This record gives sequence, structure tokens and C-alpha cells, in this order.
Amino acid sequence: MADWIPIALSRDVPVGITRAVIVDTREVMIWRGEDGVAQVWEDRCPHRGMRLSLGFVRGNALNCLYHGWQYGAGANCLRIPAHPDLTVPPTIRANAYAATETGGMVWMSSDSADPPPLLPALTPVITLAIEAAPERVLAALGGSTAEPLIGLPFAGGTLQLGWHRAHAAKTMLHATGAGADIAAATAHLRALRQSLEQEAAA
Amino acid sequence: MSLTDDRAALDQWYTLGALQDFPAGAEVPSRLLGEDLTVRRLTDDVEVRAAGRALPVRTDYGHLWTSFGTPERDLFELPESREPDRRWIHCGPVRVRASGLRLVENFLDLAHFPYVHTDILGSEAHPEVARYEVEQRRDVDELWATKCEFYQPKAAAASDEGQISKYMYRVVSPFNVMLYKTPPTAPDRWDVIALFVQPADEAVSVAHAFMLVIDLTSTDAELSAFQQMIFVQDKIVLENQRPSLLPLQPGRETPTRADLSSVLYRRWLKEKQLRFGTEPRTDLQSTDLPHA
Repeated sequence: MADWIPIALSRDVPVGITRAVIVDTREVMIWRGEDGVAQVWEDRCPHRGMRLSLGFVRGNALNCLYHGWQYGAGANCLRIPAHPDLTVPPTIRANAYAATETGGMVWMSSDSADPPPLLPALTPVITLAIEAAPERVLAALGGSTAEPLIGLPFAGGTLQLGWHRAHAAKTMLHATGAGADIAAATAHLRALRQSLEQEAAA
Repeated sequence: MSLTDDRAALDQWYTLGALQDFPAGAEVPSRLLGEDLTVRRLTDDVEVRAAGRALPVRTDYGHLWTSFGTPERDLFELPESREPDRRWIHCGPVRVRASGLRLVENFLDLAHFPYVHTDILGSEAHPEVARYEVEQRRDVDELWATKCEFYQPKAAAASDEGQISKYMYRVVSPFNVMLYKTPPTAPDRWDVIALFVQPADEAVSVAHAFMLVIDLTSTDAELSAFQQMIFVQDKIVLENQRPSLLPLQPGRETPTRADLSSVLYRRWLKEKQLRFGTEPRTDLQSTDLPHA
């Protein structure tokens, strides 16, 4: 997974929140501490495999629900409560992906050699889960799976849709639009989803 | 999924539940190690059958036990079951989507009390796990963790205030475990809380919790409700561990000193070459793989 992938609307990950996302069958999680920076990690505590998306954010740290292991923004473990006096070895760390935000979306990459696309600030509309393969969804929208964004004409303007593959038969669309009528755009996208899912089920 | 070929798993005793859950005359379906079973309780006899074959049966400690294979030992000893003033409380069954080995390991774990059983079995202000001792008792093939201590705001149904609870843990077979714990009302004796796990499939388990307690005040319903509440909190964790199967491969997870009993448990499972409920390993040569 060399490219940057949009995996959520930034709006849906406010400060203090964790969010679980499936990206190409992998369980990842997003969290945002008080410093406002979105982190994207494997959804798994290295201690006993607990999903970190069930953890809790305090300040700029994420705490695992199971044993309270505390991780800083750099993914290194800062504190193991069962051993309060222990200086945690730097080898104990969560598995972090490269993460950034642009165009009102959170993006991740496994290989961050290339910079992510730079987009203007866009108004978040909605994230939609569509029970259909990305190839089918993107073809129907006039886009391509080679590109992380699709422009969708709507009401005299254009919606920018980021997308990611949850698994082979499920597509996540992250819709944004500059100055779009959010209610109308949401209704339009929901209708689109319904027709795509009916077509996929046929 | 069908019956496992894992010899180490087949040659063990497993509970299918409390005897009281099998009404006389009725045929009750069950499942163990990936195979469907039927249990039929006759007047003073219980019959367990799988694929047309009758399996061995035991009815010790108020539970129904069976095995697909030839267990090396008879069922474990539980001397407290002969003490007349103990209350027998069944609190189960609870179905959990996780390996039974994950359930046993969680049962052995003190460090999660402040976070999973907050302000009941632990508090965030007292998260430290003091050093305790572990040993493998080879004569009985059991694992013991002793001299465990933990501060508990509400150690049991009858607790009025916090206490430093003393614990001992005893693993009697890969899927059967119990703990001994100081009761709030009788500090010179030990309550026994057992977790008998019925591994239905590799990642689907049925937990049968069973208590032999000294408690003169709580009702059966209160005792059972307390344990149920604790177990439901554990279930949230257990169903969200990845992988659902217990990893035995070195480096897959990161134990610390508080996990001493888990380290010993995993080593013991490897020694037994148990595979059912474990994550398939990629670090072994195929000739090293346990063969059933």
C-alpha cells in the first residue's frame, strides 16, 4: 500500500475520540489528542492484542482499555500502570502508519515516501458505506481505482469524494464539497448508494 | 468445522455445563472441539454421544464432564467441595467469541482489574501488580500462581469497603482454571471461583463460572449477579483481542513481569503441544509441528 488513502472525514474524529476503520481488510484506528493531530495506528495493542479503538484518550495520549498501557503521539509506550516505576523500553510501541489531513479528510499510508496530495479545505458532507466493490462503485461514478479522489458534479458545483476499500465487496466514500448544500448532497449520495447496492445485489 | 485432530486437546476432560442445566429425559445439543454432541440425562445417568459414539462421562462438582480421547489423569481434586458450609453457586453459561485459552489467560490476569472492572476489583489509583510466585507442579501437572495481592474497592458481593485481596491461581488443565481468594467475611479461609471453559470451536467458547464461597449474607442471586457482571466486563475485552486465537509464537505479544502466570501458561501449552485455540505458527519447521 504505497499510496495515500483517505480513510475518514476529519470532522468525524474530533479531539479526544478514537475511531475504528477497516482498510483493505486490515483493522486500523484513528485517534486525536489535545494537540489536534490525527494518529492512524494498527488497531491492536502490542501487549495482549486488545483493539486500541476501544481505548481512551487523555491529553495527548491513548490508553488501552485492557491494562491501561499509555501510548504517546509517537506510538511509543509511555507507561505500564502495573509497573508504575518502570521506564518502558523504547522497543514497546504501537504499530503506527503515516497519517496526514488534507481536504477535510484523514489520510494514511504504509509507505510515506511520496507526499500526500495537497487539497484546499473542503466542507465535510458524509461518509457512506456502500455494499459493493470499489471497482463497480468508481466505474459508476466515472472515476478510477487508480485515483484516491473522484469529482462528482452536483447542483452546479463539484463534490470531492475520497474513497477506500474496506474489503473486496465494500466501499467507503468520504464526501466533501466547497459550499455544497449538505442536506441535498447527503440525500443525493444516499440515493446513489441505494442504486449501487441494488445493482451489486442483482 | 469438524472435530479437531489435536491429540493434546482431545485427551482432556471438558465440562458441558452444570448438571442442573440438563433436565431429565430431554435431549440437549452441545458442542465441543468443533464437533456436535447430544446429552441425554436419564434418571441417574447421563449419556453423551458424538457421531454415534458414546463418550466417557463424569459428574463431579455439580458439572457434566466428558472427553473425546483418553485423558492421562482423572479429573482434578477440589477438596473445598467437601466442606459443608460452602455455598455452591453456578453462574453461566456465557458464550464468548474468543479462544478458550484467551479466557483462561484473562482469568489469570490481575493487571486488568483497575481498567476492566473499575472501582470493583481494582481502582486506577492502585494499578500496581506486586511480584508474585509461579510454579509448575509436575506431580499433578498443574500451574500455580501464589502470593498474589491486589487492592480491591469491592472484592465480592458482600464487601462493604476496600481491601487488599490475597489470591492464588490454579490451572488444572488447558481449559479449566480456578482462583482462591480471601472472602470479606472469613479472612482465614479461601473462596474458590472456578472458570470451566467449554471450547465449542477454536474461537467460540462457553464459559461456566462456578463458585464455592463462604458468605452468610448474600443471596444466591446476588452472588451469581456479581460474578455475571464481572464476566460481562471481561467479555468486551475478550471479543476484541486480535487475533482471537492465542498466539504462542515468540514476539507476537509483549508480556511484562505482571504477566508471569501467562508466560508460564503459554510455555506449558507449548510443552503439551496443544494447538486447538492457538494461532497457527509460522516460525516452526514443518517437521517440528505437533502431529496428531
